[in-house]
Amino acid sequence: MENLLTQTTGRKRRWNASKRKEIIFLFCMLVLPVCQWLVYFVYLNANSFVLAFSQKRTGLFPVFDNFEKVWESLTTDKGELSISLINTLKYFFTDFLIIMPLCLFSAYFFYKKIAGYKVYRVLFYLPSIISSMVMVETFKSFVDPRGPLSGLLEMLFHYTIAPEGLFNHPDTATNTILIYCIWTGFGTKMLYFGGAMARIPLEVLESAKLEGCGPFRELFQLIFPLIWATTSTQIILLFTGLVSSGGPILLFTGGASQTSTLSYWIFSKLYSPGMGGVAGNYELVSCMGLCFTLVMVPLILFIRWLMDRFPAVEY
Amino acid sequence: MENKKKMQSLFKKFKMKDDASVLTQRSRNEKILFGVVFAVFFVYGISMLMPFIFLGLNSLKDLLEYAVDLQAGNVMALPDNIWKGLENYVYAFREMKVDGTYGNVIYLPEMIFNSLVYIGFSIFSSLTASSLVAYCLAKYRFKLHGFLYGIAIFSMTIPIVGTSGASLKLAYDLGTYNTLFYTILPSFGGFGGGFLVLYGYFRNIPWSYAEAVFIDGGGHGTVFFKIMLPQASPALLTLGIMSFIGGWNNYTTPLMYMPDYPTLASGLYKVEQSFTRDNANFPAYFAGLMLATIPVVVVFAAFSDVIMKNFSVGGLKG
Repeated sequence: MENLLTQTTGRKRRWNASKRKEIIFLFCMLVLPVCQWLVYFVYLNANSFVLAFSQKRTGLFPVFDNFEKVWESLTTDKGELSISLINTLKYFFTDFLIIMPLCLFSAYFFYKKIAGYKVYRVLFYLPSIISSMVMVETFKSFVDPRGPLSGLLEMLFHYTIAPEGLFNHPDTATNTILIYCIWTGFGTKMLYFGGAMARIPLEVLESAKLEGCGPFRELFQLIFPLIWATTSTQIILLFTGLVSSGGPILLFTGGASQTSTLSYWIFSKLYSPGMGGVAGNYELVSCMGLCFTLVMVPLILFIRWLMDRFPAVEY
Repeated sequence: MENKKKMQSLFKKFKMKDDASVLTQRSRNEKILFGVVFAVFFVYGISMLMPFIFLGLNSLKDLLEYAVDLQAGNVMALPDNIWKGLENYVYAFREMKVDGTYGNVIYLPEMIFNSLVYIGFSIFSSLTASSLVAYCLAKYRFKLHGFLYGIAIFSMTIPIVGTSGASLKLAYDLGTYNTLFYTILPSFGGFGGGFLVLYGYFRNIPWSYAEAVFIDGGGHGTVFFKIMLPQASPALLTLGIMSFIGGWNNYTTPLMYMPDYPTLASGLYKVEQSFTRDNANFPAYFAGLMLATIPVVVVFAAFSDVIMKNFSVGGLKG
């Protein structure tokens, strides 16, 4: 009996020692990342919340000056934020309704091994690796009033680009940047769709083909439902990044010609090239952020709920 | 085995590939559709090469030649003298500069150094933190497990907007604003996209390896550093390459958080902004852009297979 008790106690001690080692190991592994999260997520967001209710000059708290400014800018015709919001929505819907479907189609043809697909896959991915400064510079010279596009438009449609250029007029500036975004918008999304398609069992597609299924039916009625898990994730991620939708505004116009977006507005309120890099409108930016977060959270939860209504196919 | 040989001889006889199936056979209409799409892809693919051609050609022109070509709407014209044009690269490397806040001058080699330090810290920090958290959550069950996993998912799916102001203020408070070390702390986040990729990788590595180490007297640290981390190297490599490319091209973060330590991307942006009607040396600027483009293209060319493979194998699994 005594022997059994000693054995049990010994085993328990060994177990305790091993558990203690495990706990120490986990503590050592996680302590720094958790501290980082506490500072860069919890403290940062709490501070952002406090800043939203603080007055810039006096530091008074709580005040609602920032909310008044944000509301005024949002509701005034041609207000900075109202223009930025409209443009942001334009970029978002271009991404959602044009770029995403185009990525899906491209991924489908790569999956079907269209001639030269390996080369195209790399070429289509290039805008994701080349600096946008290079892409923007090339695009600007292409659409310049003295550039190749102007000659092409004149030859085909007898249309001449105004001498001041497309980026110096509010009617054309944002639309031109939108076209740039479509031009450079393939890449990562296309690879994700390609990855999802690569996992579809070939037997399913083979039997459909034997039944006489054409490419459009194959894409919309077979492949699309089979990759729904990836598509819905991409849609959720797209909505999550709605507020940061936009193009390289800084490189194209620096916000001129009514091209500002919400993310550029934030940047412009914080960065100033002439003041050692700082413009310092922390309070206004935090307030705007709080307002849009309050709108975005329910929207994202709704989108997630909506996506869950269409269950993914298991295979 | 015999059947397989028979199939292979049949494939050979009809000049078909081994993996040929009904999927590779196309009807006439499908062939037309694929032909049209091929033509569209071809044009689009060529347009993707235009930035290189544009930069390459114009970086080899002298100032006057570029101005004349631009005026004539002929920016794709060949340079007159390529060897002379190479002087733009020498000029960009030696003379291209950015003025710092305190009157200091930063030249291109220093910008390249800043870029490498910025990217090095950023990659090291993010990969370290992601692998520490992902490994612990993938392989151990403990009291805070659910909470920490929840944090990761919450941080990624709930959009919190406009924290840049507070972030800039925090950098000031911590004394990391306008230092080369700025990126170390913000990059040390263990709950981002890298976490999800590595979490999936670690989960798929069998725990029996660890048990074998424990029997041999090894500890948890030995298992992590000597067994698990090397096995996750494909994922770490892909994440590292993507971080390198992203960091090398990022100009907004260095502009905002470390204005006196411009990286190549933010420095070249500042160079272009400093151009006036009299001093705009665009060919040299293009040479600078070309120098900034070469490293990412080389890295991508060297690892494109790894990137494409990891995307197609380890893409989002919902």
